[in-house]
Amino acid sequence: MIPFWAQDATHAMALLSTLMPLVAFLAIMLGTRSKEKLSAGLSIGAVAVSFGCSFLLLFRLWNLREPLEYSTRWVALNTVEIPFGFLLDPVSLLMLCIVTLICLLVQVYSLGYMAGDPGFSRYYAFMSLFAWAMTSLVLSPTLLQLFIFWELVGLSSYLLIGFWYEKFSATQAGKKAFVMTRAGDVSFLLGLILVLVYAGNLSIVEMNSPGFAGLMPSTMVTFAALLIFGGIVGKSAQFPLLTWLPDAMEGPTPVSALLHSATMVAAGVYLFARLFPFFTLSPAAMGIILFIGTVSMLLAATMAMVARDIKQVWAYSTISQLGFMIMGLAAGGYFAGVFHLTTHAGFKALLFLCSGVLIHTFHTNDLFELAKGGVRRLKIPMVALAVAAGALAGLPPFSGFFSKEAILAVLALSSNPIWLGAGFLGAFLTAYYAFRVIFILLFPPQTATESSDQLSGLPSAPKPSHHEGSSMTLIWPLIILASFTLLLGFLQGPLENFLVKEDKHVLLSHGVLGAWLPFIALFFALAGAGLAWVEFGRQGARQVGFAERVPFFRDLFSQRWYLDHFYRFFVDRVVDRGFSRLFAQNDNRVIDGSIDAMSRGTLETSRFLAFLQSGMIQYRLLASFAVMVLLSLYFFF
Amino acid sequence: MKWMLFGPETGIFLAAFFFLILSMWRKPNPARDHMYALVLSALGVAVSLACVGAEGFLFSGTYRLDLFSQVFKVALASGLFLIVCLCASLEEIKKRYRQEFYFFLFVCTLAMMLLVSAQHLLTILLALELSSYSLYLLVTLRRNEDMGLEAGIKYFLTGIFASSIMIFGMALLYGATQAVYLQDLAQVMPELMNSPAAVIGMLLIFGGFFFKLAVYPFHIWVADTYQGAPDQVTAYIATASKVAVIAIVLRVISAVDQNSAYLVHVLAVLSITSMTLGNLAAITQKDMKRLLGYSTIAHSGYVLIGILSVGTAGYASAVFYALALLVMKFTVFLVVVVVSPRGRNLEIEELAGLHRRSPLLALALMVSVFSLAGIPPTVGFAGKFFVFMAAMDKGLFVLVLIAMVNVVVSLYYYLLVIKAAYLNVPRETLPPVHLSHPMRCLTGSLIATMVVVGFYPTPLIQLSEAMARSLM
Repeated sequence: MIPFWAQDATHAMALLSTLMPLVAFLAIMLGTRSKEKLSAGLSIGAVAVSFGCSFLLLFRLWNLREPLEYSTRWVALNTVEIPFGFLLDPVSLLMLCIVTLICLLVQVYSLGYMAGDPGFSRYYAFMSLFAWAMTSLVLSPTLLQLFIFWELVGLSSYLLIGFWYEKFSATQAGKKAFVMTRAGDVSFLLGLILVLVYAGNLSIVEMNSPGFAGLMPSTMVTFAALLIFGGIVGKSAQFPLLTWLPDAMEGPTPVSALLHSATMVAAGVYLFARLFPFFTLSPAAMGIILFIGTVSMLLAATMAMVARDIKQVWAYSTISQLGFMIMGLAAGGYFAGVFHLTTHAGFKALLFLCSGVLIHTFHTNDLFELAKGGVRRLKIPMVALAVAAGALAGLPPFSGFFSKEAILAVLALSSNPIWLGAGFLGAFLTAYYAFRVIFILLFPPQTATESSDQLSGLPSAPKPSHHEGSSMTLIWPLIILASFTLLLGFLQGPLENFLVKEDKHVLLSHGVLGAWLPFIALFFALAGAGLAWVEFGRQGARQVGFAERVPFFRDLFSQRWYLDHFYRFFVDRVVDRGFSRLFAQNDNRVIDGSIDAMSRGTLETSRFLAFLQSGMIQYRLLASFAVMVLLSLYFFF
Repeated sequence: MKWMLFGPETGIFLAAFFFLILSMWRKPNPARDHMYALVLSALGVAVSLACVGAEGFLFSGTYRLDLFSQVFKVALASGLFLIVCLCASLEEIKKRYRQEFYFFLFVCTLAMMLLVSAQHLLTILLALELSSYSLYLLVTLRRNEDMGLEAGIKYFLTGIFASSIMIFGMALLYGATQAVYLQDLAQVMPELMNSPAAVIGMLLIFGGFFFKLAVYPFHIWVADTYQGAPDQVTAYIATASKVAVIAIVLRVISAVDQNSAYLVHVLAVLSITSMTLGNLAAITQKDMKRLLGYSTIAHSGYVLIGILSVGTAGYASAVFYALALLVMKFTVFLVVVVVSPRGRNLEIEELAGLHRRSPLLALALMVSVFSLAGIPPTVGFAGKFFVFMAAMDKGLFVLVLIAMVNVVVSLYYYLLVIKAAYLNVPRETLPPVHLSHPMRCLTGSLIATMVVVGFYPTPLIQLSEAMARSLM
């Protein structure tokens, strides 16, 4: 039995697509760290191979009916058997393609963005580590394997957020992300154990099969679903564990594009989609999940309305959009959620990469500073940014319009109109903050431009460090992603056929609103964009949003609804002064005291034994003989 | 052609004979001799590998070939080859003895190969004595004669003492059973489990093995001999010799032990005492080789847990542990041999700054010491895990608990070694350690083996299980 040998071409491709980045990671860490070009080349080459293989897999298995599973025993003992392998089905193949495509584009982009950084090779090593962990997570056939890679993804996220570890805020942000996602992971692990206790294994196919309901009582299913959803909350930064994501923007911008918007944070939503049939077993859990998704979507959207840091805006919008996907899935729209996941990955990566070009050129994250610096002169990035913002806002013909409309259609089917209302409100807010950014960047106040024109000779004004257009490695990924954003929406039909083979999820009607739904959604989006125009775009606008005019709202939104304050209070008062104190005292007095006593005893015994060793050989032999005699005598007792 | 079955032994014998002739006819030439030894021991590995499938009996049933013995022969030949790899500069051994050094090394390996196939009490005794006598001489070959001589004499005295106990045991056993073949013993022993002569005879025979395995109460030579012998010889005693003895203990116990509660109790007591004593005494050691000596005693205790969990699972876990020990102990000794200062032993303090002098060696030391301590994901963890699992299946919970406590105690001194290599600041800056390219490859592949098998132990487990089944 040769475990890692490919059984056929499909298996070989799956192996290649997951293992190549690992090979690159090991090669860079062990060998080529001192050679920057070679390291980057290895990493990009590896991810290009995985990208190629994953697309080949997608085409090969386009007409796949049954999920394809390859597994081998990792550890096999008498009773314990831990399988390892791949599970290929439509949703995993689609996600694999998204992940590898965006990894590839971001790595190419990073060639320009990270050029000259002292940690260049380390950066590519971590990127490869992430690519390996993420692709393996996507193809995991069991929840145990998924959990292992889930943690590895968390680790690479931590490493990349704190990539500039000499910056204090970066290490803090890395730690915060790690600790908060860990809180979710504990819940995830408990959920896994619960499922394991009842079902006996963690195979995803079995959990999704119709027979699973017979294995677990329905209350336990609800309980397990909610615990697993805890992991999703942590990873996808949903309410209440959402404040780590904006801080995670301390990492390099390509990292934010790849991990903290397009792929890694989407792993939570992916897991939800993966276990969709399992979650549908518990309507109660789905209700709670729908609620949490909605709250996250609206909270994060309000935060995005007042943020001044361009990356922060997109970070909040990521939380908001992930919440939106979860709403779609929780309302029963499997395809709608996954489709929005797909389109979102494209346009959100594009948003970040465009912002990266701006930040790279002007060395500031502040929207108004960027505007003053004259970002409007960067033609291609600004056009791409506008395209992506259009998609985010849900304007036709960009991809976001189609996927948002799909989710809204699902929400419209639910009996309670409040979810649909929240969806419309979200669409309005999203369009508002997306175009707020665009208008601020495009139309700096007249006085500011004049002064910057006058002061252009002075060193104090932020000046572009590169000439317009930057390097081509920065631009090409933008063009590719922008074209995806334009085209992807029209692939809705084929994708739906691919993902949902049977017709069970096809929507027959659009609920109460019927065919009017897309127009209403469009109306809200346009209203949001229009409001942004009135406040930020038109001639002589004061560029102060309606939320910023009310001090209460401004503080509430910019302080993230005081969630961080609440955490700090909670950690300070309850955990630090309450539990920790008790435990610390127990630790100091009882445990440390006894351990000290024990280790002193151990050391003394050790000295004594060593002393015994230095005796005369004949006495020692005598002792041995005595022991043998005693042992023999023991036979007679 | 029955003689083909005897291939590995013949090969090693011819190699030993070659060195004997060489020492009589030619002037010593270290580089040439080392090359000969490398080639011959590599051939030995190749021949042993070629004979893995051999099965049958030789010499009118006194000698048995099966998967168990043949795989152990491969392990022994590999052990010899690895040790020869460390002999590039035999600084510690006088120049004129170097050819004899190789001669004894090959003879000792030959004896151990005979041992793992032995099926007759006298064959066992002869093979054991042949390997012991070669080792007594090897130990005394050290350039600093006082050190080597003291070590050799302590080793020799303990050895003959243990042998005499073993011969006494054999006499008792023969008197009780009238049988000298293991297969005959296997048939009569079940009825004699209440006969004192047979069972105590059995125990005394194990005494002889325990001397080689360094189990309490026959451990008294270990620390001094490890410290006094040349580094390469210590490495050989710690690796190949232990593997051979574990093999023969398994072979004998699988033939005679029919779940005797008495033997299980006695072995459990010895196992606990060995672990505890070894680990506790190791804590205050300053000499690296002495520390490894005590850690060997502790590891013998862990192996005994697998051995006394009678049954395929227990034997398989002991086999796995033996093979794991070969790799991890050897890696530690590789570092010791390369880093040792000329003319004296390596102190733990002298490891300070190793990660700057040679990152590869420091990594090798870390992985192998982690492995010895049983930290995942290394082969040592897998080994301990399977041994403990086998014992748990037998319901030996208390024993496993004590072993766990011991593992924790042992962490202390293992981590001290790693701390010395990675964290301590050296008193004087020493030059980087030079490693030849083949040695780099060897070190790298050893590290990779320990980690890969730690991650994916299934093939090795299956091999161990197949070997344990072939014993039955």
